[in-house]
Amino acid sequence: MNPGWDFHAIAPVIIITATIVAVLIADFFFEYRGRFRTQQIASLGVLAAMIPIITLAVDGGTREMFNGGFVVDPYSLVFQGFFLAAAYISMLLSVDYIGDGDYYQGEFYVLLLTSVLGMLVMSSARDLISIFVALETISIPTFVLAGWRKHDPKSNEAAIKYYLIGVMSSAVMLYGMSLVFGLTGSTLLSEIADKVRTLDSPLLIVAGFLTIAGFAFKVSAVPFHFWAPDTYEGAPTPVTAFLSVASKVGGFVALLSVVWFGFSPNSAMFQPVLWGLAAASLILGNLVALRQTNIVRMLAYSSIAQGGFILVPFAVASDGGAWTSSIQSVVIYTLIYGAMNLGAFAIVIALARRTRSAEITSFAGLGQYAPGMAIVMSMFLFSLAGVPPFAGWFAKFTMFRAALDANTPAATVLAALAAVSSVIAFFYYARVAREMWFHQPPEGADVHPIRTPVALNAAVVICAAIVIAVGVYPQLFARLGDLAAGG
Amino acid sequence: MTDYYREYLAVAVLIGAGLAMVGGMLGLGKLIRPTRPQPQKYVTYEAGSDPVGGWGQSNVRYYVYALLFVMFDVEAVFIFPWAVRLETLGVQSLISMIVFIVILALGLVYAWRKGVLRWA
Amino acid sequence: MIVQNIFFWVLALAMVLGAIGVVRSQNVVHAALYLVVVMAGAAAQYILLAAEFVAWVQVIIYIGAVIILFLFGIMLTRAPMGGDTKLDNDQRWPAAVVSVFLAGVLGALLIDAFGKKEIVISGAKGEQLLQVGKAGHLADSIFTAYVVPFEVVSILLLAALVGAVVIARRD
Repeated sequence: MNPGWDFHAIAPVIIITATIVAVLIADFFFEYRGRFRTQQIASLGVLAAMIPIITLAVDGGTREMFNGGFVVDPYSLVFQGFFLAAAYISMLLSVDYIGDGDYYQGEFYVLLLTSVLGMLVMSSARDLISIFVALETISIPTFVLAGWRKHDPKSNEAAIKYYLIGVMSSAVMLYGMSLVFGLTGSTLLSEIADKVRTLDSPLLIVAGFLTIAGFAFKVSAVPFHFWAPDTYEGAPTPVTAFLSVASKVGGFVALLSVVWFGFSPNSAMFQPVLWGLAAASLILGNLVALRQTNIVRMLAYSSIAQGGFILVPFAVASDGGAWTSSIQSVVIYTLIYGAMNLGAFAIVIALARRTRSAEITSFAGLGQYAPGMAIVMSMFLFSLAGVPPFAGWFAKFTMFRAALDANTPAATVLAALAAVSSVIAFFYYARVAREMWFHQPPEGADVHPIRTPVALNAAVVICAAIVIAVGVYPQLFARLGDLAAGG
Repeated sequence: MTDYYREYLAVAVLIGAGLAMVGGMLGLGKLIRPTRPQPQKYVTYEAGSDPVGGWGQSNVRYYVYALLFVMFDVEAVFIFPWAVRLETLGVQSLISMIVFIVILALGLVYAWRKGVLRWA
Repeated sequence: MIVQNIFFWVLALAMVLGAIGVVRSQNVVHAALYLVVVMAGAAAQYILLAAEFVAWVQVIIYIGAVIILFLFGIMLTRAPMGGDTKLDNDQRWPAAVVSVFLAGVLGALLIDAFGKKEIVISGAKGEQLLQVGKAGHLADSIFTAYVVPFEVVSILLLAALVGAVVIARRD
C-alpha cells in the first residue's frame, strides 16, 4: 500500500515543520544568550520553504497525492508563496516588538510558524478533513498570539474573544461539514462536487450555509465580525497585522477551495449566503470605519470592508460563466490586499514606537517631521481606497470585472453597492492622510525625525515596492491570477 | 440480533446491573438508617481539624500536566489503529508514526526544559 | 431492528436530560459531570451505529481526558463551587426559543434527508459496515489518505502545549 509520497511536492510543508522543530530545540539551548537566534532560524526556514515553491512552479503541472486529497498545482503554489511572504513580512514587523518587550521569542516563532504550516496545508488541501485540520492549525496558535502581552487586560480580552468566537465558528463549520459528508458520502471535494450536482435536498442548503457561516467567522464577514475590532485592538500590533492578512486570507482560501472545488455545481448552496455576507460587510464595514478614532480599529473595520470586496466575486461566481474571472479576482485581490494592509500596519507599528498611541490624531503633522513615512503611509491608504496608480485599483478593477461578467441583476446590485462603498471608504482613508499632511503636530510632541529599525524598514520597502509595481504594471499579479484559475 | 449487538448487550446489562446495585444499596440504606441531622455531620472531614476556607484555587501550573495528559492520550488513540495494521501498512506508516511520536515527545522535553514540570 | 430503536430512544433521552442538566446546573462541577452523561450517551450511540472504534475514542478522549481538562480549568478559577452565585443568563428564555426553533428545523430537515435510511449490520453488507467501524480500517485511511493532516495534528498539539506553557508561566 503506497500512499504515493511526492517529496518534492510536500517539501515546503516539510521545511516549515523542520523549522518549527529547530526553533523549539534552539530555544532549549539558547535560553538566556543569543535570543535572536530563534528569529533568524525562523526567517531562514520561511525563505528556504520558498525554494521548493519556485522549483515546483518552474516544473509546472499538477501533482496529486493521497487519492487527490492533497494537490500541488498553480492555485496552491500561488497561495503558498503568498503565505510565506506574508509570514516573512510579519516576522520583520515582530522582531523589534517582541525583542524589546522581552516576550517569549522562541515560543512566539513556534506558534507563528505553526499557523503558517496550517496555511501551507490549507492551500493544497482538497478534502474536508484536511481543510478542517489546516484551519484549526491556522487558528489555535493565533489565539495564544493575540494574548501575548499577558499582563495587559486588553490583550487578554482580545485573546478570549477571539478564542471563544473561533471555537464556536469551528463547531458550526464542522457541523455543516458533517452534514455535507452525510449527504454526499465523501470528504473529497471533487467527489462532493459530483454529488451535489444532482442531489436535491433542502438539508444540503443548510449544510452549505453552516459550513460557510463557519468560514465567515474566520474572515470576519458581517454579521460574524464583532470579535475583529476588539481583538485587533488588544492584540500586539504585529500579531494584528498577521491576523488581518495571513490568517484572514487563510480563511478565504478555505472558502475558495470549498466553494470552487466542492460546492460549485450547486450554486444555491453558497451564492445567496455569500451575497448577503458581501453586501453586509461592504455597508457595515465602511460605515462604521468612518466613525473610528483609533487607527487599529479603523483598519479592523477597513479589513472587514475589504473582506466584503473579496466576497463579491464569490457571490456572483456561478452566473453567466463568471467563474474564471471570479477566481482570478479573489486571488489577485487577496494578494494585493496582503501587501497594502501589511504595509499600513508596518507604519502604524513604526509610529507607535514613538508616540505610544494608536489614535488617528497621533498622525498629526507626520508629513512635517517624517515626510518619508507620511508619503509611504499615504500610498498604502490610497491603495486601500483603490486610487491609481497604486495596486488597490487593480484589485477593485478585477472585482468589478467579475461582477460585470456575471451580468445578472443580483451581481449588478452588488457591484453598485461596492462602488458606493468604495467612495465612502475613500473618506476615512483620506482622513488619516489629511491628519498627516494638513494638521500641526500636537504641542510638546517630539518632532525629531523617526528612526525605525532595519527590519521594519525592510518590511515597508517590500510592501511599498509591491504596491507601486503592481499598480503600474498589473500584469505581474494578473498572470498569477490566470495561473491560479487554471488559465 | 447479530453477534455485534449481542456482545454490547452484555456491556449494557453490566452497566445496568452496576447502576442498579449502587442505587439499590443507597436506597436500602436510606430506608433503614435512622436520620438525626446535626450541622457538625455535614462538615468536610479534614484529618480531624476544622476545615479552613471554602474554595481552594489551584495553581495554574497543574494545567500543564492535564494538557500533557491529553496530548499523550490523543497519541495513544492514534497508536491503537496503527498497531492493528502495522504489518500490512509497512515501513511508511512506521516512519509516519515515529515522526508523530518524536514531535509530541519534543513537547514533553520542552515542558521539562522550561521547568514547568518542577513541583516546587 | 426494534431493539436498536428502543436503545436509541433511551440513550437519546438520557443525553437530552444530561444536556439540560449542563446548562441548568448552578454548580459548574455538576455541569461538567452532566457533560459526562452526554458524552457517554454519544459513545453508546456510536456503538449502535456500528462505529466501534470511534465509540471508544469518545470514551478515552472525551470522558477520559477532556473532562479532566474541564475540571482542572474549573479548579483554576476563583468561582465558588457552591450554588450561591447566579449562573443563569438573563436571556435564557430567548435562548430557549432559538434553540427549540433550531432543533425543530434541523430535526425536520434531517428526517427529510435521512429518515428512510436504515443501518443494517447483518448479512454481507452488514459485515462490511462493521469492518468500517473497526480500528484497522481507520488506520488504513489515516496512513494512506490522511498522512499530512495526521502529522500536522502532532505539530498542532505541540503548539497547544507551548501556548499553554507560555500562558501558565508565572514570569
